[in-house]
This record gives sequence, structure tokens and C-alpha cells, in this order.
Amino acid sequence: MSLLETVDVKVKFGGNIALNDVSISVEAGSVTGLIGPNGAGKTTLFNTITGLQPLTAGKIIFNGKEVTKEPPHKRTRMGLARTFQRLELFTSLSVRDNVRVAGEIRNRWSFRTKRMDVNAETDRIISLVGLTGVADREVGEIPTGQARVVELARALMIQPTLLLLDEPASGQTEEETEQFGELLKSLTRNDGLGICLVEHDMALVMNVCETIHVLDFGSMIASGTAEQVRNDPAVIDAYLGAPESVG
Amino acid sequence: MQTFLQYTILGLAIGGSYFIAASGLVVTYTTSGIFNFAQGAIAMLAVFTYWQFRWGWNWPAPLALLMVLGVLAPLLGALLYQVIMKNLRGTSEVTKIIVPIGVMLGFQALATWVWNPTSSTPRQFQKFFGPNAFVHFGSLKVSWHEIIAFVIAIAIAVGIRLLFVRTRYGVAMRAVVDDPELLQLNGGRPERLAMISWAGGSFLAALAGILIQPMIGSAMSAGQLTLLVIDAFAAAMFGRLRSLPRTFAGALVIGLTTTYVIAYFPSKWTWSSSFRNSLPMIFLFIVLIVLPQDRLRGATVLRLRERFRMPSIRTAWIAGLVMMVVVFCLKVIMERTAVNTLTLALTLAIIALSLVLLTGFAGEINLAALSFGAIAVIVVFHFGTTGSGTDARTTLWGILLAAVVTALVGAVIALPALRLRGLYLALATMAFGVFVSRMVLTERNERDIFGFKFTIFTAGQLAIPKPKIGPFDFNSPDSFLFLCAGLFVVIGIGMVYLRHSGYGRRLAAMKDSPAASATLGMSVVRLKLSIFMMSAAIAGIGGVMMAAQIGTVNSDRFDILLSLSLMMITVVGGIGYVSGALFAGIFLIAFVQMLDLSLKKFAVDYSSLEAIFLFFVSAVTVLPATIGITMGKNPSGAVSDIVEGLDQIKQSKPLMFTLIGLEAAIWGLTAAEVITNWNFVILTLVNMLIVPVVGGKILLARAMRGVPKPMPPELVGIDRPFTPEDLAEMDRALNLEGVVIPTMETVREETSGVSA
Repeated sequence: MSLLETVDVKVKFGGNIALNDVSISVEAGSVTGLIGPNGAGKTTLFNTITGLQPLTAGKIIFNGKEVTKEPPHKRTRMGLARTFQRLELFTSLSVRDNVRVAGEIRNRWSFRTKRMDVNAETDRIISLVGLTGVADREVGEIPTGQARVVELARALMIQPTLLLLDEPASGQTEEETEQFGELLKSLTRNDGLGICLVEHDMALVMNVCETIHVLDFGSMIASGTAEQVRNDPAVIDAYLGAPESVG
Repeated sequence: MQTFLQYTILGLAIGGSYFIAASGLVVTYTTSGIFNFAQGAIAMLAVFTYWQFRWGWNWPAPLALLMVLGVLAPLLGALLYQVIMKNLRGTSEVTKIIVPIGVMLGFQALATWVWNPTSSTPRQFQKFFGPNAFVHFGSLKVSWHEIIAFVIAIAIAVGIRLLFVRTRYGVAMRAVVDDPELLQLNGGRPERLAMISWAGGSFLAALAGILIQPMIGSAMSAGQLTLLVIDAFAAAMFGRLRSLPRTFAGALVIGLTTTYVIAYFPSKWTWSSSFRNSLPMIFLFIVLIVLPQDRLRGATVLRLRERFRMPSIRTAWIAGLVMMVVVFCLKVIMERTAVNTLTLALTLAIIALSLVLLTGFAGEINLAALSFGAIAVIVVFHFGTTGSGTDARTTLWGILLAAVVTALVGAVIALPALRLRGLYLALATMAFGVFVSRMVLTERNERDIFGFKFTIFTAGQLAIPKPKIGPFDFNSPDSFLFLCAGLFVVIGIGMVYLRHSGYGRRLAAMKDSPAASATLGMSVVRLKLSIFMMSAAIAGIGGVMMAAQIGTVNSDRFDILLSLSLMMITVVGGIGYVSGALFAGIFLIAFVQMLDLSLKKFAVDYSSLEAIFLFFVSAVTVLPATIGITMGKNPSGAVSDIVEGLDQIKQSKPLMFTLIGLEAAIWGLTAAEVITNWNFVILTLVNMLIVPVVGGKILLARAMRGVPKPMPPELVGIDRPFTPEDLAEMDRALNLEGVVIPTMETVREETSGVSA
């Protein structure tokens, strides 16, 4: 059984079909890529999975349970965390407090026995993702690349089983991206975390993802291993334009 | 049957007028994203101006109408947008709510200034074609005015619908809200469209006012017309501030129900007229409960212009200590009346603290703080006092009970609106405020409720004695002053502790990004509810203190307009700071009163200039609103400016000690009665406020002059030439260190060498 499954998810904005019968799955202990040109519906799919966007039709199944009608905070409490492409940081708090408050929120809803030592866990996560140097800065002052890492750290604080990352590497340097890829791999390997990654940096995607789903204009056009997707003619068309439009 | 038809027609006409006002709200809201709280105030100004033209100066009706509806009202709307509302893009929801409220209060004060409400002859406002212009349908007699009102309403409904759906203009108007930048890229002009819609909205408000005034029958009152906005927004809420057909239906339902209540409720029900006046509020609540939950959205603006730095706990303790010392020093030199004014200011500051907690820390809005105060005062009056006559005291248990009751009332008010955006909670609290003013504070008759004989607001005023807590009696003015100052300090420090706790961080998270908070597992509603209850309880305690200071309070003390002023001035002071609340209390009570008294004194002393001074006395009434309107320019508040200035002074110790020394000297001279209190106030203002702020700014500017602004890397080489350091840096990055790159000169030398 997959950790997450979307079954024929459809979303309409007025007459526009943003997602058309999209079915993807994410497995525990691996990174699943979700790629596609801008406007393909990747962020909308994340929003439906986390409950920020109601579905027109279809089902979301997480951990074997249907969560289609659950509000966002309930889904999170089942172990689902995400980051945002358009940053949603707590701008009146420092980097450390952004991470810490996530643990504090978690301790409010987790079982008494599973509560964490928030300060220790904050320090651990901050050094894990490499934010120690900027921990006491205002979150509005740090560069976008690092701000995206703060979002990741915040999501890790709730100890999720599934993590949705929305373009986490944009704004990072090549070197940072490489380290980031290693971090994702170690998270899946050591903690058994399932990760779904939306990303435009193809090198990173091809490096870390075991399975890749490709969206274009709201529809799924391909899915498979990196090798299969790379050679899929539909994918090449979507990214480079169909031959007739080139000619 | 005939009465039924008669009242139905009146109801339709009133409902139609509500719709016209409401449609104006919808149009401005959908195109500019700003909810125009001043809608009723614009209607009010139009009614008074029309009265002036038509009956004051005896102009013919068509000319007066053309002038008001065709020229002045649209002009006012366009100006409002151009001068004030345009600056609100990129500000927080709080600022977007406060600035229009400032406009509303300003218009209100302006109207009272120009058209003195206490003038001897009441102003009569007649229906179109005079009071006796009727059409007869069989035995049914209908006034022309009512027919006109309803027909215009239908015409406007159809007209706006066509405009929005059928014309290019209308489609562009709807696009403005969704994405002004995208519209601009596509050749639209969002600013101009928004300005036109404000002109239109203002026209609709004016039209609604002129139609409705003679139908509600009573004498012209600035306050009543200003609150027309509430009836209008109750109607607009039926359509979720979007759908015009539903707004139309909502307006008719409100219009008809209010008239039927008057027609059919038995006349022995003394509360039916209060009930009628409260109906729009009751409707609003029902609609809020029924409305589906909003989608959670992320922060719509990437970075707000407001920033609040939280003081450390240590700073809070020091500030609290300083404040107690200052209050003590002031008490020593002040006259009795001045002590009373200061105490009253502090009680209002306590109420303002509730706003800082709710809005500054949690980002939610309460526009009726004083109404919660009123609830607490009623509780204390009935259950919280002992003794009688001069021995009467308010008990600690009474105050605590009042706090609990206000918190519970707050929960009931807030619960329906908490699922929705901040604007809806603001509207719900405002509706609650008006409901309390119209329905609760007018309850002067004895009621038999479940066997209890009970009068809520006895004889229109309630006597609240000073409190006695344990062995401490706070009956003397001085001791009560210290109680209020101490209470302010304790609650203030408590709030700083709260802000530094996990709870405070969760509040900040909820305020900064509801979407991210929810995806971290936070149940936003519970957190909002708890903070709203806490804030209501503080407002309640502050209200009891205010009443105890005044002694006997009447319902005017809890007027919704006062609540709005307090909220506005707190935002001006700095809604994110405890000191912002202090600023609000002092400004609203002490500063305005001091200005007023001094100007009046000058008018007597220098009788030749009396007219000028009296002009300024009136101008002072408009002052708070004027300051509120400027918030669009400086949304972090005045206190942050002062604090920034003081920060700079702190850097330079000699200067700081000089200022403190000077202040001590001024105080000493006053205590020794060498200089008067009046001069003390002036000198202190100059010494402690103007010098530090202006001086701090100058110091800051000087400090900044030496430091060049860091240049973004992509502009190096464009805005300034490459320096040797830049070149070295690039060499390092490109691994070219030590490599000699040939320049034109070396190349030329080399080539010339070759040829030679």
C-alpha cells in the first residue's frame, strides 16, 4: 500500500480545468518527483493533498485512510507536512523561533507520551539542515534560498511521515543544491520518510527521485523512473514544444 | 390588508435604499479591496449638503440634486481614493480597516462642526414633491417618494449588473481585484478604474442617503446616518460582498422586516423600537453563521510594511518601573482635576491594551472594545458592589465576575466570525457594538425575566463606586490613580511575557501565515477564540475602571464611535506595542482635553482673536480622525518613530543624561511652584518628545551618511564602476587568480614589438 494516493483528482476554477483526473502515488522511504512546465498544476495538486484546495472530484488517500474531506490541520496531525513555493514564513519571528514554534504547535496536538523536547529538537533540526549560522537572524533578512530551507526545517519539526516540498531548491547555489539532495536522500533512508518533490532543477530531480510523475496542463502525461521519463516523447514535447510548433 | 400593503410598499422603498447603499459598498470593495466604512458618513454628508442647498438656501430641487449627486459626491469619492485609499496597497488588513474608519470619524466630526446639532430650529428634510405628494391606487395611498426610491433601486440593480457583465469596463473592474498587476500588463489601468468605482460608490451612498432620510422620519442626525453603513453592510453580506442579486434580496428582507416589526409588534412591547433598530445587526449575525468557511489563504502580500520589534522582558520591567515613577512625580505637582484626567486616560489605556493583545499580537480586530466595557459595567453594577452611599465599593469578586462574563460574551460574538477573514470579525464586533448601544443600553424598563425583576440600565445611568480589594481601599483619587497605573503596568508586562511564550509565538504564527499554521497542525479557531476572550476580559476590566473613575456613567460613554476612535488612535500609536495603548489613552483623553481647554482659555484671554481660537477648538474634534487617515503612510505607528529616535539618543550617553537632568529641573521648578503646570507640560513635550525624536532623526541621518548603502551585486559595474576588490573577487570566483589578462595596451605593445 502506498503512503499517499490521489485517485482521479479533478479541480476546476470556473471553466478552467486545473487538474484533470490526476492519480499519483508516493511511497514511504523514497523521493517521488512531480515535474512539469509552469502552470501544469503541481502546486494545485499539493494544495488538494494538504486540504487548502477543495476538490471538484476524486479522492485523496493517506496512510490507507481517505482524507478528502478532512481540514488541513487534521491531515497534518496524521503525519503530512509541506513547504510553500510562495514562502509562508512567520515574518515577525526569528529563524530559530520559526522552527521552534512548529515544535510547539506539534506538542499541542500530539499525544502526551509523544511530546518532544522542543528546544533540543530545534537545535538538532537547525544543524541538520545547516541553518546554524543564521539561526538568530530575522527571517525576513536572509536570502530566499535559505528561507526555503527554514520552511523545510519547520516542516521536519512536526516529524511527518510524508513531506511535500514545493520548489525547495530554487534560489540555492549549485553547491547548496547538491548538499540538499544528499539531505533528502538521508531523510528517506534513515527516517523512512516519504517525500514528494516539485522542482525545476532537473539535475536534482534526476539525482534523488526514484519515481517521477509529469504533469502538463493539468493532466498526467507520464510516470516512471528517471530513465523512462527522460526518454518519454510526450515529456520531451511538453518541455521543448511539439515538433510541428518548432518547425 | 390595507395596512399590510402600505407597510409593504414602505418596506420595499427602505429596502431599495439599503440596496443602493450596499451596492456602492460592493462596487468599491470588489474593485479596490477596501471596505468603505465611510459609506454611511458619505451619505450623511450628502444629506446635510442637500439640505443646505434645498432648504437652507432655497435652491430648486433639480439643481440641488445635480450639484450633490452629479458633482460633489462623485468628486468626493474620487478624491478619497486618489488622496487616501490608493496608499493602502501592501498594508495589512488592520490598516485597510482603520483608515476608512478614520475618514468616517472625520466626516462625522466635520458635520457636527458645520451643522451644529444643538441649533434652535430642527432641520426638516422632506420627501420628493413635498410631504403631501401621493398617488392613489383605489383606497391605497402611496407617496411618490417611496415609488421613486424603489424604482431607482431596481434601475441601479439592473444597470450595475449590465455594466459588470456586458461591458469591457465592467469586466476590467472585476479583474482589478483578482490581479491588478496582470490587468496592468494587459493594458488595463487599475488605479483609474478603482478611482472611478469610488466615485460611483460615493454617488450611490449619497443617493441612498437622500432617499432614506425622509423615510426614517426622524430629525436629521449625523450619528444615525453615519451608522447607515451597518444596515448597508448587513445587506451586502447576504451577497458575501460580491453578488448583487443576493444583496438586493438581502436589502429587501431587511427593509420589509424592519417595517413589519413597527407595524405588527404590540405597542405594549416597549422594546420593539430598539429591536427594530437592532434588526440589521441580528441579520448580520445570522448571515455570518450561515456563510461557508473561507478558503485558507497565504499571506496575500509578500512583505507588509508594518514591523514591530518586541521588547525584551527586561525592557518591559524597566519601562513599567519608569512609568510608576513618572506617575508618582506627576501626581505630586498636579491639580486634582488633572489627576482625574490622567486616571481616566489610564483606564482607557487599559482598554486599549485589549486591542494591542488582539490586533497587535494575533492580527484579529475588535471594533467595539467599549461595548465589552459596558457589559462588564452592567455586571458590576448588579452583582459586584457592597455597601451604599459613600461606603459603596466595588468588590474584587465583582470585577473578576465581570471579566468572566465579558470573556463569555466575547466568545459568543466571535465564534461565528472566527472561521472567516479578519474583516468579517471586525464587522461582527461593530454590529455587536451598535446592538449594545441600541438594544442593551436603552433598556431602562424593569423586565420580568424568569421571575427575576431586573432593569439592565437603570434610569439611563449606572453608579459604579471605587474598588476595595482586601484591606486596600482605593476610594481616594490618588490611590485610584496608582491602582490604574499599576494595573496597566501589570497587564502590560504580562502581555510581553505572553508574547515571549510558546502561546505568543503561536499567535504570531497564526497572524503571519494562517495557511502555514494550519499545515503545521494548528487549529486556528481555538487559538483565535482564546485570544479574543482574553482580550474581551481586559476590555471589561478597563471598562469597570473607567466607570469607577467617572462615578456615574451614561450610555454615551460606551458609544461605538468612541470604540472606533480608540482603535484608530491605538493603531496610530503602534498597535504592536504596549506603549501604543498608553499613547492612545493619553492622546484621546488628556491631550485632546488639554488642547481644547487651552484654546478655550486663549479665546477668553485674547478676545480679539476669539474667532480663530474657537475655530481651532472645532478643528481639534477632527484631529484624531485626520491623524488616523495618515496611517496609510506610516503603518508602524507613531510610537515606533519615537522609539527609534530614543534609541539613537541612548547611543549618546551625555545627551541622554542632559535630557533627563533638564527634565528633573523642570519638574523641580514646577514642584516649587516657580513655573505653572501648563508650562511644565509644554517644556516636557519639547524636552522629552520633540528633542529626542527630531534629534534622534538627525543623529541617525548623520550616522547613515558615513556608511554607503550596500549595493546589490547585479548592479555593480552598472551603477558604479568595478573596484579592484570586485575584480579580485571575480578572479577568485572564476579561478583566474594570478592569470595575467592582456589589456589593449599590452596587446598593442606586444604587436608593435612583433612588427618592429
